[in-house]
Amino acid sequence: MGEQTNDSFQTESGIPLKKVYGPEDIADLNYERDLGLPGEAPYTRGVYPNMYRERLWRIFQLSGTGAAEDERERIKYLLAHGETGFIMESDMSSWLSYDVDHPEVLCRKGDVGFFGAPLNSLRDYEIALEGIPIEKLYCHPSAITPIQSPFASACYFTLAEKRGIPWSQLSGTGEAGMMLQYLGHPSKHLLPPLHAVRLNCDLIEFCITRLPKWVPLSIEGYNSRETGINAYQELAMLLANAIAYIDTLLSRGRLGIDDFAHAIAGVSFALGRDFFENIVQVRAARRMWYRLLTERYGAQNPRSLRLRIHSLTRGSDWTYEQPLNNIIRGTYHALSAALAGVQSLGVSPYDEALSTPSEGAHVLSLRTQQILQFESNVASVVDPLAGSYYVEWLTNEIEKQAWDYLKKIEERGGYVGVLDSGWAHREAAKGAMDWEKKTASGEAKVVGVNCFCMDEEPHIVSPFRPNPKAWEISMARLEQLRRERDSRKVEPALDELRRVAESEGNVMPAVMNVVKAYGTIGEVGEIWRESFGTWNVPTLF
Amino acid sequence: MSVEGKRIKVLMAKASLDGHWRGVAVVSTALRDAGMEVIYGGELGASQIFQAAIQEDVDVIGINIGAGYTVAQEVMQLLREHGVNNILVVAGGTIPPQDIPEFKQMGIAGVFPPGSKLDSIVKFIRENVRTPLR
Repeated sequence: MGEQTNDSFQTESGIPLKKVYGPEDIADLNYERDLGLPGEAPYTRGVYPNMYRERLWRIFQLSGTGAAEDERERIKYLLAHGETGFIMESDMSSWLSYDVDHPEVLCRKGDVGFFGAPLNSLRDYEIALEGIPIEKLYCHPSAITPIQSPFASACYFTLAEKRGIPWSQLSGTGEAGMMLQYLGHPSKHLLPPLHAVRLNCDLIEFCITRLPKWVPLSIEGYNSRETGINAYQELAMLLANAIAYIDTLLSRGRLGIDDFAHAIAGVSFALGRDFFENIVQVRAARRMWYRLLTERYGAQNPRSLRLRIHSLTRGSDWTYEQPLNNIIRGTYHALSAALAGVQSLGVSPYDEALSTPSEGAHVLSLRTQQILQFESNVASVVDPLAGSYYVEWLTNEIEKQAWDYLKKIEERGGYVGVLDSGWAHREAAKGAMDWEKKTASGEAKVVGVNCFCMDEEPHIVSPFRPNPKAWEISMARLEQLRRERDSRKVEPALDELRRVAESEGNVMPAVMNVVKAYGTIGEVGEIWRESFGTWNVPTLF
Repeated sequence: MSVEGKRIKVLMAKASLDGHWRGVAVVSTALRDAGMEVIYGGELGASQIFQAAIQEDVDVIGINIGAGYTVAQEVMQLLREHGVNNILVVAGGTIPPQDIPEFKQMGIAGVFPPGSKLDSIVKFIRENVRTPLR
């Protein structure tokens, strides 16, 4: 060990690297055209002129566990220790819009509350958010998957209404992740992707006129990357997903590009082991977004053209062996995010390779970010790596590769086409398998896994145990809700939703009425499945 | 007991509704590359795993665990109740080291947490598969 044994150097995504870069490598770079000042087109250097001097990146951790009250306690704990926004993670049953007594859940009750709380109704939101000042905080209200998102968003908006908070004050983001659901978790429980696009576009239309500070969905490159896609493929997949939304909304003929583009210009990236590739991916993403929106769609409003980026350090880079090493990985992944100029960041807790994160591991994720923000002095100067021969060359290179890959996606039917055919999945599986081969051969080193291994773990980590009563608590609450709610209000609201779902109208007003009548996520999910059918999962690998 | 000359048939299933499939995909691909026949069942409950295994006459069941501790337990119970003792059951996924003995006690022969080498999984199955030669 200690010697570099591989003679071909490349980025994690396979872009070959020279020993050193110089002026000749960026001879074509035009400062005005390709970089510009932060806050100015093409936004390569950052979307705001003052960046972290004006507002530090938001500390935004994925968190969730147990029943709704456990979810709330974890959120409060993180906020008390300096988190500056909060994410409500729900469990798999809610992701798929099943109530906790659906047969698919009853045969695997252990899923309930495992890495998030089941959020079956407005009642669960009332409990999960009790005592949390949502008018002051940036939130991700568990609107995680497209099938869940209209219901979850409606619960959050209704809760605000009940507390007397005007919607104009609400700030936050939904996720409604197609990458998460169709690439990350392909299953027979999903709606066909085209209908997910429809629900997401309905949500966008509903939110842009009513909630000016709300980002209704976030296109999550993160989940494509974690499935095995590389950095430039992630960029291309993300743009392809955006194109699917944009083309659908434009084809409806009700909105112009500058009416809604800001509402889809919030995305996420997975930042992992290749420090510089992380940075250039984020810089290239901002420039590519600007180019796509101006060149293809003629967008002009700066709000449409600024790509705001959340990033999450890559859980798949975490190792089961010597898990405390993951703290060190998280620190340098987070540093790359800071240098790239992201708007918000989550650092995966170090124990995620073993279990749902513990409170103690979660606090270290906060501290990692706070130390970077307040001690390291990296937040004082915007885009500090601009002008580096290597960084600018690699930014150009990754952009070029991503445009080429986007072309491949579009030749195969675009985003929905490559999901429906399984092409995207097979690309991901191939990437994942290539990685396995590289680590098995030792070509890619993973400390503690294929080098510097130890016979005995130097630090023993106790796995976190979610509340074992999560199902019982949630089930009792659901039964009580069904007894207490006014079924004369629920039934007509569900009928109306069914009618709208099967028409071309926007589903959101009808979902709001179901939520207000304390209809459940399972009742809404059933309507989606009846109206749209379920996905014919392609061959994955 | 190894099974010379016969293709080993494996059912791969996910015990949880959690559809993260990267781990299952790479393990399945490695088993196929090693000459085994792999059926991917996706997310299945215990009785579905049991039925699929019997119908497909598999030699091995591979369960991706996630939150599915009880599912694994129920699969083992169904196999015992029906006197099926020629199917090797292995498990993988995010299982903390402290819990591995629990799975072994259930009768799950091999447990492969994150970081397990793919060739070690192939080797384990080849060396432990129980189906007699036929």
